[in-house]
Amino acid sequence: MVTDGKYTLRLTGADDAPFAFAASPAFARDGLCYAACASGLYRSRDGGARWDLLPTSPEPVTTAVAVSPAFADDRSLFAAVKGGVLRSTDSGDSWFTAGFPAPPPVFSSLVASPDFERDGFLLAGTLEDGVFSSSDRGGRWQPWNFGLFDFNVLCLALSPAWIEDETAYAGTETGLYRSTNGGRAWRHSGFPAELAPALCLACFENGCSGSSRLLVGTESKGLLASCDQGDTWERLAPDALSGAVNQLHVDVYDGNTLYGLTSDGVVRSDDGGLSWSILKRVDGLATAMLPLGDVILLGVQGRGVMRLPVN
Amino acid sequence: MSEERPFHSQKSYQPGLVFQPHVHRNIAAGINKLVAAIRPTLGPTPRTVAVTRLDDARKTPEVLDSGGGIARKVIEMSQRDEDIGAMLARALICTQHERMGDGSATAAVLLGAIYRGGVHYLAAGGNAMRLRHYLERALATALEGLDELTAPVSGKDKLAQVAEAICHDAPLAKLLGEIFDIIGAYGQLDVRKDHSRVLRREYIEGMFWNSGLVSRDMIVNQKELQTVYEEPAIVIADFQISDPRHIMPMLELAVDLKVEKLLLIAGELSGDAIAGLMMANGKLKNFAVMAVRGPGMNPDDRQAAVEDLAVVTGGVPLLKVMGQNLRDIRREHFGGARRAWASPHNFGIIGGKGDPRQLRRHVSNLQAQYEREDDSERRGPIQARIGKLMGGSATLWIGGLSESEIEARKATAEATADAMRAAVRDGVLPGGGLSYLTARGRLQPKMNGANDPDERAAYHILYEALAEPARAIYENAGYEPGEVLGRIAQAGDRHGFDVLHGRLLDQASLLDGAAIQKMALKNAVLTAGLALTIDVLVHHRTPEIARDFG
Repeated sequence: MVTDGKYTLRLTGADDAPFAFAASPAFARDGLCYAACASGLYRSRDGGARWDLLPTSPEPVTTAVAVSPAFADDRSLFAAVKGGVLRSTDSGDSWFTAGFPAPPPVFSSLVASPDFERDGFLLAGTLEDGVFSSSDRGGRWQPWNFGLFDFNVLCLALSPAWIEDETAYAGTETGLYRSTNGGRAWRHSGFPAELAPALCLACFENGCSGSSRLLVGTESKGLLASCDQGDTWERLAPDALSGAVNQLHVDVYDGNTLYGLTSDGVVRSDDGGLSWSILKRVDGLATAMLPLGDVILLGVQGRGVMRLPVN
Repeated sequence: MSEERPFHSQKSYQPGLVFQPHVHRNIAAGINKLVAAIRPTLGPTPRTVAVTRLDDARKTPEVLDSGGGIARKVIEMSQRDEDIGAMLARALICTQHERMGDGSATAAVLLGAIYRGGVHYLAAGGNAMRLRHYLERALATALEGLDELTAPVSGKDKLAQVAEAICHDAPLAKLLGEIFDIIGAYGQLDVRKDHSRVLRREYIEGMFWNSGLVSRDMIVNQKELQTVYEEPAIVIADFQISDPRHIMPMLELAVDLKVEKLLLIAGELSGDAIAGLMMANGKLKNFAVMAVRGPGMNPDDRQAAVEDLAVVTGGVPLLKVMGQNLRDIRREHFGGARRAWASPHNFGIIGGKGDPRQLRRHVSNLQAQYEREDDSERRGPIQARIGKLMGGSATLWIGGLSESEIEARKATAEATADAMRAAVRDGVLPGGGLSYLTARGRLQPKMNGANDPDERAAYHILYEALAEPARAIYENAGYEPGEVLGRIAQAGDRHGFDVLHGRLLDQASLLDGAAIQKMALKNAVLTAGLALTIDVLVHHRTPEIARDFG
């Protein structure tokens, strides 16, 4: 269960909202985490208790943030602002900008390859321009939208076996696309078109024999799961999750524990998504969430970032 | 010094009828001659065939290693009865080559074996019509066997393996594997000659059409000779716009809708209409317009392009057939895109604002249309349309040490690309003749269980013929077929023989396009069945065209 949390980052503007969180892979030790908000990118060095606004770019609205899986060595993180992706190699003290072709894209998601230390590969999803990829640690980006009929990309996920299978997924306004060649080309998956949009994705090695499990959160039909890379789907926990599932996260310490951000609030599953219970009902519009072991960061529009201790 | 000879034969046909046993014997001779010419090209170690040039026999002969290419060069046989057999074989081989780009030598070898087996059986008193009927039934069984073995193929490494089995050129196969992993079965691939010595590939994002700006005055970036618009509105019309007054309603509505950039795609624009647009460019604040010619060389192409552009941009096209002109323009005729560019020869659209669901349905419909279409002439444009709509294209640049090497490699790349499309679409089979050898397992019980001698003979003929492609491959590589087949049988199922390295290996390491293998078998059986039922030949006098040339 979670105890009552408190807002540790207060946002003043009614439209200001945390869009995404990211944390250092060694969060348990260093307590380093980031919040991408409409008012800018914030950093906390103490597990989300106190936050500092980082000097990123003149364009404050930060819609996505990702930390390098090799953060302990390279101190790299990436933040998406309107029209570009910023990169820092000193955990956020200084920033470099990578330009994109006009008109400026609006980013919805950023993911880094699990093998980032070696391949330096990143994917960025945008709301009107499809998917961009970078193979040089965010220095240069190129659009890779072959076969992607819908450029309104809401979420991205990489297969846990990315190093071997180079499989990536893109959830869009009208369905789910799969790439089996590192994002260079996309094919429509068997995701039922009537259940689109695909709001969020989670891909993890659990619950399927010989394949990773793919979960998709939908706007009105709860959660769908696939064990065959998106060819066939089954609905999970239709009674518990009937409305919108806006975010999904796999617990960093236990691959069987999942967290979701739904229209009801923060929910948790301890059996790989088969059953769910409500952890915290949210007063207001919850926009982002990140479970970090014994704490959950929760973003609420117009209010800020709440730190929820998990017992 | 030898005397020069005209390149057309001087033979003179006499009218007449030919009956059995000459018919089967002479048709077999014609088939066998053509098959014998093509058989050495089968497999990864093909030998070549030199063909005298038709235009000038004194020139260096063409050296070919493709069954389809060789068959196309064989125009006639000197013996008229043999000519009929050879032309039946030629039609089979050329069809296979044109439809699939590969498998023509396999089809030829299968035809030769089936016809030979059939003639032997008929000479012993079999019934040709019944044999043909049972051959077709045995074919269905063999195809079922091939279906069972068919597996989908994906990933650049596996696709490169398939490509190498077709073109026997490892660097080319590697690039084609990568390209087809990206563009899939329907993607747009241009194979072009390059001045360099190497092979290279290039990927282009977005859709583009081979039709450009109506006036060079519309070029904004003179250095790159193109104009790029961000967030343009797009109007599509399939008719000619000659009256400059007709463009005014479009410009007025665009300004009302707060359009800042407008791309007009129209059938053709008169000089006055172009001048009208240029004037708008100069006079209207925060507004720019460019116009491109509607793509397509003929009415069908133009209509198809209009359909595709409408789906991509989300704008309703203005159509001549509906009696519309630009004065009828309304808000729904404006489509849009994230970006559009145009040069004197091409224009492209990136991030069209059409409904993605409709676009996906449109592409699915085109794919279904492609599958239904048998005529390769018509399949090409459909495939090109699908390729465009996939949102990107690939160009393979073919370099080499000499012009002739580049030409030959380009032809190989094009044929391999056709075969790759079929493999990506329909899956793969164990290569090197192994799939046919394995499919024989399905025929054996039927053969043993058949009571009718014609039926038993049909299964037996096909059973024996299915080993013939593997035999030819081993022979061409310098191995004794019986010995290799014995080693494979000893190693058990799932093993094949790598003729390049002379070793047994897993079947999965040798791959062929499934559709290619199935079509080769199907057409070889059907052609052999037809040829076996021919009982009488009727010859006319020398055809007029032959006499004229002679």
